[in-house]
Amino acid sequence: MEKQKLSVLVLAVVFGGMALFPPFLLSQYWLHVMIISLFYVMMASSWNLIAGYTGQVSFAHAAFAGIGAYASGILSVFFGLSPWLGIPIGSAVSALLGLAVGYLCIRMGGIYLSLTTLGFSEILRIIITNEDNWTRGTMGLQVPGLFAEYSKTSYYYLFLVVAILVLILLYRLIHSDLGLSFRAVLNDETAASSSGINTVRIRIIAFTISSAIAGLAGGLYGHYVMLISPDVPSLGQMFLVLAMAVIGGMGSFAGPIIGAFLLEILSEYIRIYGEYHVLFYGLVALTITRFAPDGLMAVAGKFSGKKRVGVETL
Amino acid sequence: MSHNNNPHFENSPILLKGEKVSKLFGGLVAVKEVDFHILQGEIVGLIGPNGAGKTTLFNLIGGLFHPSTGAIRFEGADITALKPVQICHKGIARTYQIVRPFLKMNCLENVLIGIIGRPQREKSKKKEEEEASEFLRFVGLGGKERVMSADLTLIDKKRLEMARALACGPRLLLLDEVMAGLNPTEINQALELVEIIRGQFKITLFWIEHVMGAIMKASNRIIVLDQGQKIMEGSPERVVADPRVIEAYLGENHAYGKGN
Repeated sequence: MEKQKLSVLVLAVVFGGMALFPPFLLSQYWLHVMIISLFYVMMASSWNLIAGYTGQVSFAHAAFAGIGAYASGILSVFFGLSPWLGIPIGSAVSALLGLAVGYLCIRMGGIYLSLTTLGFSEILRIIITNEDNWTRGTMGLQVPGLFAEYSKTSYYYLFLVVAILVLILLYRLIHSDLGLSFRAVLNDETAASSSGINTVRIRIIAFTISSAIAGLAGGLYGHYVMLISPDVPSLGQMFLVLAMAVIGGMGSFAGPIIGAFLLEILSEYIRIYGEYHVLFYGLVALTITRFAPDGLMAVAGKFSGKKRVGVETL
Repeated sequence: MSHNNNPHFENSPILLKGEKVSKLFGGLVAVKEVDFHILQGEIVGLIGPNGAGKTTLFNLIGGLFHPSTGAIRFEGADITALKPVQICHKGIARTYQIVRPFLKMNCLENVLIGIIGRPQREKSKKKEEEEASEFLRFVGLGGKERVMSADLTLIDKKRLEMARALACGPRLLLLDEVMAGLNPTEINQALELVEIIRGQFKITLFWIEHVMGAIMKASNRIIVLDQGQKIMEGSPERVVADPRVIEAYLGENHAYGKGN
């Protein structure tokens, strides 16, 4: 219990520090890195909800971010809707499609669910790439920003506030009865079912919430970079999110947050090596899976004298 | 089947009833046209040699599999086609022969799942946690609330499963070999628990057990399965004396002898 509080405290200090730190001390470049990191914090944490807590390793998470981004983008470009309204609508669209995909995957476990979501993700990317009228294909859809006057500082605070709210929501969810049911489903679906847990409902709820958050993050991202391309719902993006969650520690609350910051900041440093940065990622992933298969948070847990890392502790 | 072999419960209503229940796995007949019934308040033992279909029958009652033919009724309602979660909500809880606790959750959380899974809940979270603790104390796991269930011994894992099953608030409890591996003292403790479960909790018990002494001592009635079929049913005294039962058990030994 105390370690759980400790990890919350550490996160509170980190995010509190980010809120209080005067952004003008950061260069525009680092401000951008922090904003993108916060986008990945939302992505990796919400993916962790389905993969880490209910065991549904979905490859459609980037696709749901793309749905949120394109839905909001199309609404603002073609219907003149304010992005402030478009983003929640995009998130709702993602939630609905998440509900549908989640429902489709009820009877699937493990690799079959992964393959189905992978297929969904690729179909979506191909549609977006080949469509021209609404998505502008590979050229990308130019969308308006959220603020009348472009300022990275405003975006920084917006992303920070939304990310904190998302994390509070996820934290409360994970530590609620619903969260406990998520973990029971992950541990043993059959035993959970015969203990009175409606596992179908639990899995769909997790999928829907997680997709809604991905849609929200995607929408914010789209109106920040102001150019939505098929890269948003790409598998490359998906694997980056996956790597963040796995390296940080799947099934722990703080893991994906740490992983998101770490990999995003790291990628800025290794960017100069061009295509070799993929090799570098591979090495990091390899090292982690060899020496800390449960992620960095598990290592941190070990050092603080804890044998096993569960939600309880971190 | 008449009830008169069990005079204590002849006025009790039928809680669970199976009518010609069969289960085929491909060409293999695991359970063949088994008729059975459990009266309210009874403790009924299910015995038989390995591979007789005992656990399969439990899985059919629990909704893990569905019978190929036949019907199962609980409190008069047809539960043949229901899913495990629905069957649990109807009032049947169970333990597993090969234990299935939630390994990455602590003992308290394991039992809480049973309480969370109830169709009706009204208590506060704190009260539910207290109730879960009580179930843990009852099965002898008091003080282990925060211990991860993966760190428990096999026997304690079985106890934990029993606590989780009780937390579901069942009217019928299916216990699958909960006493395997216990020493004589522990078996006596377990038998006391069984009596309390029936006497105080008013839960009817249907249990599979290989520990003959225990099942003979505690059961009101025993059903014997062999090769998927019910070969005998009656009071413990009648069952142990029955030549068919002796043959089913000795026949197994005989078969092993032939194999050499």
